[in-house]
Amino acid sequence: MNNLVKIGILLLVVVSCSKTPDFPNIDYSLSGGVFVVNEGNFRSGNGSLSFYSYDSTKIYNDLFYSVNGRPLGDVPNSMAIKGDKAYIIVNNSGKIEVMDQSTLKSTATISGLISPRNISFVNDYKAYVSSLYSDSVIVINLIDNSIAGYINLRRSSESIAVAGNKAFISNWAGGNEIMVINTFYDQVVDSIEVGIEPESMAFDRNGMLWVLCNGGWTRQNYAELIEINPVSNSIEQKIVFPSKEASPTCLKIDVFGEILYYLDNGVREMDIKSTDLPSAPFIIPESGQYFYKIGINPLNNDILVTDAVDFVQQGYLLLYDYTGKFISKQKAGIIPGSMCFKLSINS
Amino acid sequence: MSTVDDTIKIKEVVISRNKFNAGQSGYKKTTIDSSVLFNYSNSNLSEMLSENTDIFIKSYGMGGTATPSFRGTGASHVLVDWNGININSPMLGQSDLSLIPVGLIDDVQIYFGGASMSLNDGGIGGTINLETKPVWKKETLISLNSGAGSFGQYWGLMNVKTGTCKFQTVTKGYFQNSENNFRYLNTEISSEPVWQTRTNSQVRQKGFIQELYLRNTNNIASVRIWYQSADRNLPASLLTPPNSGENQFDESLRTMLNYDALKGSSNFSFTGAWMLSRLNYFNHLASIDSRNLSEILTLKAGVENPVGAYAKLKIVLDEKSSVVKSNNYNHNTTRNTASLTASIDRKGDRFGTTILLRAILDNNTFLIPDFSTGVQFRLLNDKEYYFKANISRNSKIPSMNDMFWVPGGNHDLKNEYALIYEISYEMNQKISNPLNLKYDLSVFRYNIKDMIQWHPGEYSYWTADNIANVNSTGGESSVSLDYIHNNINSSLKAGYSFTRVIAVGSKNENDNSVGKQLMYMPENQANASFRIGFKNIYSSWVVNFNGIRYITVDNSKYLPGYFINNLSTGLKFTLKGSSIDMNFNIDNLFNINYQSIAYYPLPGRSYIVKILVQIIK
Repeated sequence: MNNLVKIGILLLVVVSCSKTPDFPNIDYSLSGGVFVVNEGNFRSGNGSLSFYSYDSTKIYNDLFYSVNGRPLGDVPNSMAIKGDKAYIIVNNSGKIEVMDQSTLKSTATISGLISPRNISFVNDYKAYVSSLYSDSVIVINLIDNSIAGYINLRRSSESIAVAGNKAFISNWAGGNEIMVINTFYDQVVDSIEVGIEPESMAFDRNGMLWVLCNGGWTRQNYAELIEINPVSNSIEQKIVFPSKEASPTCLKIDVFGEILYYLDNGVREMDIKSTDLPSAPFIIPESGQYFYKIGINPLNNDILVTDAVDFVQQGYLLLYDYTGKFISKQKAGIIPGSMCFKLSINS
Repeated sequence: MSTVDDTIKIKEVVISRNKFNAGQSGYKKTTIDSSVLFNYSNSNLSEMLSENTDIFIKSYGMGGTATPSFRGTGASHVLVDWNGININSPMLGQSDLSLIPVGLIDDVQIYFGGASMSLNDGGIGGTINLETKPVWKKETLISLNSGAGSFGQYWGLMNVKTGTCKFQTVTKGYFQNSENNFRYLNTEISSEPVWQTRTNSQVRQKGFIQELYLRNTNNIASVRIWYQSADRNLPASLLTPPNSGENQFDESLRTMLNYDALKGSSNFSFTGAWMLSRLNYFNHLASIDSRNLSEILTLKAGVENPVGAYAKLKIVLDEKSSVVKSNNYNHNTTRNTASLTASIDRKGDRFGTTILLRAILDNNTFLIPDFSTGVQFRLLNDKEYYFKANISRNSKIPSMNDMFWVPGGNHDLKNEYALIYEISYEMNQKISNPLNLKYDLSVFRYNIKDMIQWHPGEYSYWTADNIANVNSTGGESSVSLDYIHNNINSSLKAGYSFTRVIAVGSKNENDNSVGKQLMYMPENQANASFRIGFKNIYSSWVVNFNGIRYITVDNSKYLPGYFINNLSTGLKFTLKGSSIDMNFNIDNLFNINYQSIAYYPLPGRSYIVKILVQIIK
């Protein structure tokens, strides 16, 4: 594992040395690192894009505005990279900004989407985008950056995980199902009943799909962590959280696909072979911190946490190594949320 | 105090109550000129106040909501009263000024800071009191006011006041429609600005007021009914899809029964009011169908007695019962509050003082008593130069949404309260026979404690809590010069205010908002106007300035300041007391592209033509 970490860091350094994109008025290098999507406040239009460079160990804020001369939009929710393109899903603007991932110059805007949340790439030509307020998943044509169609789920959608010719889509807001889509025909072929409000998902090294069900905001139900066999669409294991007060979010997995991470009053880690939930957080927030999202560096297993502070002022990106040792704290934008690693396994 | 020959005694009864409220020693209170009210008769209260006073209006633009801010306090800290009875929504704890047509109102009074405590509790920032009243004359006054303007706006307003010296009936009705489809420069959608047309911002408003007044030598009774409805599409932010289908329907029915009596040397006053408000909000995109109905029953009784030669003692009992039926609450929710206020106001020839004490019972809990005390000193016997100072403690009970909204309402909220300090100087001097000068200067300090804010809770939704302390420090100054001679009637007014309002004492060491100006609170505001009339021609020019407003709590980003100029001119023909008044307005004369709230554009230059026909018999 240590060797892999070293290789990862070396790769980051190599890439950072080899690429120094030319940005007018921006004095930084978009080397290896992580993009942070700052959601901003609902209807305030103060969402933004930050980038933490492992090369310079600095964070660069408000990048989209700096490069494109206009705001990113209202409540950017997530970002993903595919090839030389980067895609930012801007929830309350109902659009996807398509950018050159090196220059961050917007090359297209796909608009007319209803409350889009997350994007997942099916292949080089097609992506699925989940939607909070519509009952369909949106099919995106990656070649001409257009809406190619819709897959009617009859329910809202949130997290998307693609494996082979199947896409698993969680029905988060008020729901309790994982919808299974045949990605060749873009059709719903099955559904799997899980716990209340399946919020996030991750595949482990065995190809099993882990689903974190938050339990819902009313705290009337227990949160659950569920292991699903994606071949048979059956539940292999269900771990129920001990208290209704537990409200876990943001399930991630390490680069080896062995350790699960999630937020529940701090960062918790759990081996996929374990049948017991961790009893205590692995990383505990300090007073005044609000852990909002986490990301695991796919190259060195660094644990990155966003601190939304009070959800009004600029938040922070907190970096820890894989042992939980604090590395640094970087000031990001307002409500720093989901992260997208450059050199991620998607790209 | 003005009096009318044939109504001396009863006029004293009515006016003295208002005068007692209005003129307590040591406090600041202003009244909007009737000429200003006429100029804005087709407008809503938010437009009139934003362009003519120091009150900052946070407006989402034509068709959107507009809420007031006094001296750095929030919208829920400002009371809007109708004849002394509060009409703020019990759910939101605030009033949407875009729903109140100026044409229905006869008089607008503004009580700053501690002055508002003479009317009601909870107005930490101040109170805007809207008066509707009769003209005690044996005559019939009929006025018809109609007009049309840019962006598809047209309206009609009828006002009939008739009766005798003992009985008066007042009937007012209006409708107002507007498409609000103005052009604006969108600088946010691309790196090059693009001209676009505002959509989904239509407004349809209608309403009426019916009032009956009856009086004899020592008594006056009145019944008032005010109904209005507004159906409006809510325009979107520049960064969101323009046709989101957001719609809001507001409907209110307000009734009021008032009885004043003079018994010996005592004035007795009783007011009962029942008000119903409906607010339905629809968002088809987000599948939100929010239905909210609130009722308030207010009973207010007071007695005022002279104490010695110069002082008056007033005791007021105020009982308010609110019921909210909302699909955003777990169940129908009620609240009862009662307050007992005792105040004594002494006005000598040169020295005056006021002491006010108030006890509030909120459901079954007595709150820490509030108080206010003011002093006033006339510097010279023969001059109207006044020095005033006051100190107050004023509490505000949380709104019902703060406590009961699902999710996030917090039943355990404490009251917000403020310590208010104010010093002012006022003068009114006749420079020469046709020329009169007025000037005032005020400085103030507000320490607001336990301010309620919504913040993220533990379960991914926001919750209300007492988390902030805020200090507001500033000053206001205004000057007016009136010249009235022969056929010329002119006035020149100018005002400036500075408000520094900051968050203090955060428990969070990462809090970068401490010591920073609060969002959407301009430090600098100014307004100026010049009005002139010559024979039957009149004209006015009004300019309003709002300085930069920060849109992030750490003050890293802001909206630029703006000057808005409005021009108005008209002709008025009078014949045997009746008149026809034709008026032409140009708003935003220099076609400034500006925003009050980020990404919500406001209209450029617009034109309005209106005609007022007034018949007096």
